[in-house]
This record gives sequence, C-alpha cells and structure tokens, in this order.
Amino acid sequence: MPNPTALTPYPVTITKIVDETSDVKTFTVVFDDPEIMENFGNKPGQVCMLSVFGEGESTISITSAPTRGKFLEFTVKRVGRLTDVLHQMEVGQKFGVRGPYGNWFPFDIMKGKDLFFVGGGFALAPIRSLIDYALSDQYRSDYGKVEILYGSRSYDDLCFKSDLFERWPGLSNTAIYTTVDRGDENWKGRVGHVPGYVEEVAPSPENKFAIIAGPPIMIKFALPVMEKLGFKDEQIITTLEMRMKCCLGKCGRCNIGSKFVCVDGPVFSLAQLKNMPQEY
Amino acid sequence: MEARIVKKGQLSELLDKLAQEYDLVAPVQEETLTFFRKVSGAKDVFLEYTNSDVSPKGCFLPQNEKTFNYTYTGDSLEIVKPGDEKKTVLFGARPCDARAITTLDPVFEGEKFGDEYYSSKRENTVIIGLSCSKVLSTCFCYAFDGGPCDGTGSDLLFTEIGDKYYVEVNTEKGKVLADKYSQIFSSQGADQLAKGKEEIAKKLAGEFVRKVDLTGVKELLDDNFELPFWNGDDYKKCIGCGTCTYVCPTCHCFDIFDHTIGDFNGARFRCWDSCMYPEYTLMAGGHNPRPTRKERVRNRFMHKLKYHLDRYNMVGCVGCGRCIRKCPVNIDITKIINDLKEVAQNA
Ligand SMILES: Cc1cc2nc3c(=O)[nH]c(=O)nc-3n(C[C@H](O)[C@H](O)[C@H](O)COP(=O)(O)OP(=O)(O)OC[C@H]3O[C@@H](n4cnc5c(N)ncnc54)[C@H](O)[C@@H]3O)c2cc1C
Ligand code: SF4
Ligand code: SF4
Ligand code: FES
Repeated sequence: MPNPTALTPYPVTITKIVDETSDVKTFTVVFDDPEIMENFGNKPGQVCMLSVFGEGESTISITSAPTRGKFLEFTVKRVGRLTDVLHQMEVGQKFGVRGPYGNWFPFDIMKGKDLFFVGGGFALAPIRSLIDYALSDQYRSDYGKVEILYGSRSYDDLCFKSDLFERWPGLSNTAIYTTVDRGDENWKGRVGHVPGYVEEVAPSPENKFAIIAGPPIMIKFALPVMEKLGFKDEQIITTLEMRMKCCLGKCGRCNIGSKFVCVDGPVFSLAQLKNMPQEY
Repeated sequence: MEARIVKKGQLSELLDKLAQEYDLVAPVQEETLTFFRKVSGAKDVFLEYTNSDVSPKGCFLPQNEKTFNYTYTGDSLEIVKPGDEKKTVLFGARPCDARAITTLDPVFEGEKFGDEYYSSKRENTVIIGLSCSKVLSTCFCYAFDGGPCDGTGSDLLFTEIGDKYYVEVNTEKGKVLADKYSQIFSSQGADQLAKGKEEIAKKLAGEFVRKVDLTGVKELLDDNFELPFWNGDDYKKCIGCGTCTYVCPTCHCFDIFDHTIGDFNGARFRCWDSCMYPEYTLMAGGHNPRPTRKERVRNRFMHKLKYHLDRYNMVGCVGCGRCIRKCPVNIDITKIINDLKEVAQNA
C-alpha cells in the first residue's frame, strides 16, 4: 500500500545535542508519538526530511543505527537558512521529521565480509549508521573485520570524537585509523590526507567491501588508490547528494538520468555509478 | 463501449447544472489567454478555443497548493491539513491534456509513496474531454499515439458532430455522471453517430502540419548521454524563463516552502517549479550538477523522450505543442526530435 500521507512531517523532541565541530551538531530526537518511533523501521543508509517550520525541509541522513535504540540521530552541518535555525535549537524543543527514505547499504550482501570504511570530514555521518549496525551485539557475528579510516582538516574538525576515541577502539576485530590534514597542539596522531593513508594501510580487497563517503575531492583521489589495491567497482559503495525537496520521487529535481537519488539512492556502488550519466 | 448524445442546445443547461452541484472547472478567456478556472455557470465558459494557454493539470497539481497549516512555538507543534476535496467536474480537457493526466498518475500514485493531495482530487474529479475540431500547426499528438478525438484519460469524451455532441462513456465514473443527468445525456440514436466520429477523427488526422518521426530516438538516447548534438545552437537560445515547463501538461516538478504568519503560525505550500531554472538543482555550498543551460535543456528533453518512459513506461510528452507556441526564443521539441532522428540515422 503506498503511503498517501508521505508529505506530512511528525513532531519529534530533541533529547540531546552534541557539538561535533564549530559548525556541526548531532541531534538526538524521539518521535512524540511512540507508535511512529516503534514502527519507523529505518535501515542504515536511509535519510529523513527534517522540517523546520518557517524554513521548509532539508534532507538529512540518519546517522544512528536502528540497533542502538528507539531514537534517531541527525548530524547537521550549518550551511544555510534551515540548518542555521536548526543549530539554534535546544534540548526539549521540537521540529518535524518524515521518512525514512531512500535505499540502504546492502548489509545483507555484505554478510560474511570484512568492511573497510573510508570517511572524510563531516561525511562520516551517512556511513556511521552502517558502522554501528555492523558493530552491534545483534549483528557483529555477521561481519568480519571492521576497519574505519577517517580524516578531516584538523583535530577540531573530526566529528564523532567519542566514537572514534572511546566507543569503537575497544571493540573486537576492529581497527580505527585517524588522520588530519593539519596537525596542532591538540593532535598527537598522524598528519596527512585520507587517500594517502588508505594507500599506507593498504587494505586487501579480498572478501571485503569498501564504503567511502567524503567531499568530492577526497573521493576523486581515493578511488584510484582503491583501484590500485585491487578493489572491483562492485566492492566500492558510496552515497550521493543532490538537491532534494520531496524525497518521494515526485518533485523531479534529484534525478541522475532516469534514476531519482531520493528513492533509487542515495547508496550506489561504483559499478552502478559508472553506468549512470556523470551529472552529479 | 456505451455512447450518448447531448444536443448542443442543451450544453448550457448541463454546465449550469454541473456548476450547481460540483466545482465546475472549465476553459475561460482572460484577455487573449485561455485558462482552466472554476466557473459559476455556462456564461463563464469559453468554447472557441483550440487549446488553452496553460494546461488543466492544475486541477490535480495546482500551481500553488497549501499542504497544511502549522502552529509551532518551539516546544509545541500542531499540523492541520485542509479538508476533503469537493466533488469536481473538469469540462473541456482536450485529448492531449486528458492523456497527460494519465502520465502524471504513476508519478503521484507510486508503488511506495502516494500523494493524498493529488489522489483526492483525482478521485473526486470527473474529466469530460472535448475532441478537437481543429488542428493547430504546432500539434503533434499523433506522434505519441494520441489523436484529436482520443479518449484516453477522459471519463466522458464529447465530440461535436453537427448540432450534437457524440458522448463516449469511457469509465464507470463517467457513466454515473451521464446517468445522473439522463434527460440531457440521451441514449437514443447514439450508436448511429459512432461512424460520424470516426470520420471526423480521420479527417483531422490528415491535417497535421508537423511531421514528427521518433524512429531510433529513444534507442539513441538510451546509449548516449553525451551527444555533440546537445552542444548545438538550441540551448544557447534558451533564456531559462521556465515557460515551457509551466505550460506543459506532463511536467510535474514542484518546490516546497513555508510561509510564516505572525510568530507561531504558518502554512506549507508546494508550487510548480522548473528544471530550466539554475536554482532548481543548486545545492548548499554552491555545487550545481546542471550548471548551464546546456545540461538543463538536455535534461528537459531527456525527461520527455527517455526518462519518463524508462520509469513509467509512458511517454513524457503528449504533443500538445504548447512549449513550441510559448517559448520566446522558438525552441521547438519537434525540431529536436527530428534532429535526433537524423543523428540516430547517421550514427
Ligand atoms: C541524501 C542526502 C543526505 C544528506 N545528509 C546530510 C546530513 O546527514 N547532514 C547534513 O548536514 N546535510 C546533509 N545533506 C545536505 C543537506 O540536505 C543540505 O545541506 C541542507 O538541505 C541545506 O539546507 P539549508 O536550508 O541550510 O541551505 P540553503 O542553501 O539555504 O538551502 C535551501 C533549501 O534547498 C535544499 N537544499 C540545499 N542544498 C541541498 C542539498 N545539498 N541536498 C538536499 N537539499 C538541499 C533544501 O530544501 C534547503 O532547505 C544531505 C543531502 C542529501 C541529498
Ligand atoms: S513537452 Fe511541449 S509538446 Fe510535449 S506535452 Fe509538454 S508542452 Fe506539450
Ligand atoms: S520556454 Fe524556451 S527560453 Fe523559456 S526555458 Fe523553455 S526552452 Fe528556454
Ligand atoms: S527529491 Fe523530489 S524527486 Fe527526489
């Protein structure tokens, strides 16, 4: 049955706000209607439309895994009108959410495989849901080694610091690699760009999926590295961004060729992308 | 298929009756332009039109539509949607436009996501089509399997024959309406007029000026996104005014925005948008996947000739010719099609 009320947002209440960087915040929210929360059924990689009344709607990835509990997390970068107003909100306040939309990471096909995550800057947000899904008690045994290679401009620009430095490192069969473009007094770790670090860590493509998300420039330089390491296009998974308004395949604007990124994406393999017009 | 007859002399009576019982939407003339508007009766209806300047798609996807009112204080939020749609009769849709509505159906009544606003209007509206009696020089509906007397999308199709309308009853909805006004929709002798309609259809089919040949076009576009053809002069003329998409009966793009009233109240609207505007795909941060008119013009024609077919197995153009008539710089979809056919042939 198609959902006829797909354009209607439902109220959520903010229960927690984390300042990730100077212009990125993570909002934890729960639906006011417990039934909606219970049946939301989001899968890792899906997105929602956030309504900030007076400003309209924005597409934001669900950065939390459904395995972590009955709440949603959105990590939002302040870039324009709506995200600016959202950044001024406080715990206890409400906004609207509709979703979940789009496809999801192929976590079924990924079963039995190692996962190598490559993230740049604030774009760890869309893949964090899959990281937490694969690392959850419930599904951990379905996946092999989980490695996360993540970098940003500086220490201050690293998102999800508590995940990177506290929550994830202790977990079994997991490796975390972090790097920053520019070192400073707060940073004792590696300095350098993400693609170079991937080359250095040199993951073997054997029995592995690589999940990559980051600014276009990072992706541009990371892909040849993956190719050199022997990764096939089918093994490389990424997410796309297009301007969106409806997220329902109706308003028209997010198309790449005959595909609507909002319903057919945002998750694509490199093999799929190579068969689509280069118009994104 | 069932048929009826409505005497031309009784049309006014019918329209007046319909306007009393339903929201009647019909062609009206404003200055020199023809629009579809809600009318109060037969006296408002303008029948001397070949095709309206703007298509009647607004009956189902209004140019500007409130989706809900909201009251938002920060810690409380209430959303109130508009009430049910009134029963409506859309009178006088030309066959191309009625057919166009069927190409919008799969967009709004998708497998996964429906659209309560579109569907409730669709369910509550009876479409009375009106066969053309003239073919414009810009018409080319035949190229997409349409025709001046084609009933696709019309619940009832009126065809003018002498002093009568031959009425084809195409759907149950149409039948209910015809039965309700059975004094006007007479069954007597209707079947004898079927032949007359066929003759008119045949005569009109011979009057098309534009020769449009789609042979090989879809296949060419399937295999080639980048074609030197798109670098040609056509897109350079485009001024990005968006007229072509506003008047088009199959274009369905929309924007969503909020209008605040006072401190706490407001309304959300959706309104027609156009892929010909640069802002349409512009993302926060400045990246634009279709940055120039070349990509935007290509996208429009790809949508009409390929993408809509790929997604819904339905053409994205019904050959109404409006974009040809209205484009201020004469960008002509029939020329684009014929040029693409040439490219395909020479490939
Ligand atoms: C699949 C997907 C996932 C995304 N995930 C996230 C995320 O997890 N965190 C995050 O911070 N951002 C994410 N974005 C980008 C986010 O949608 C935009 O940054 C945001 O809409 C900008 O809104 P604004 O009003 O602040 O900016 P403005 O520039 O004022 O934009 C005005 C309006 O245009 C639309 N718009 C503008 N840019 C975009 C864009 N890039 N994508 C979609 N719509 C846009 C929105 O409706 C927006 O309200 C995602 C985008 C997509 C398509
Ligand atoms: S593309 Fe032009 S000719 Fe085709 S349906 Fe739209 S307005 Fe009519
Ligand atoms: S009507 Fe003509 S000039 Fe205006 S956007 Fe369409 S193609 Fe371009
Ligand atoms: S966002 Fe409207 S069609 Fe994809």
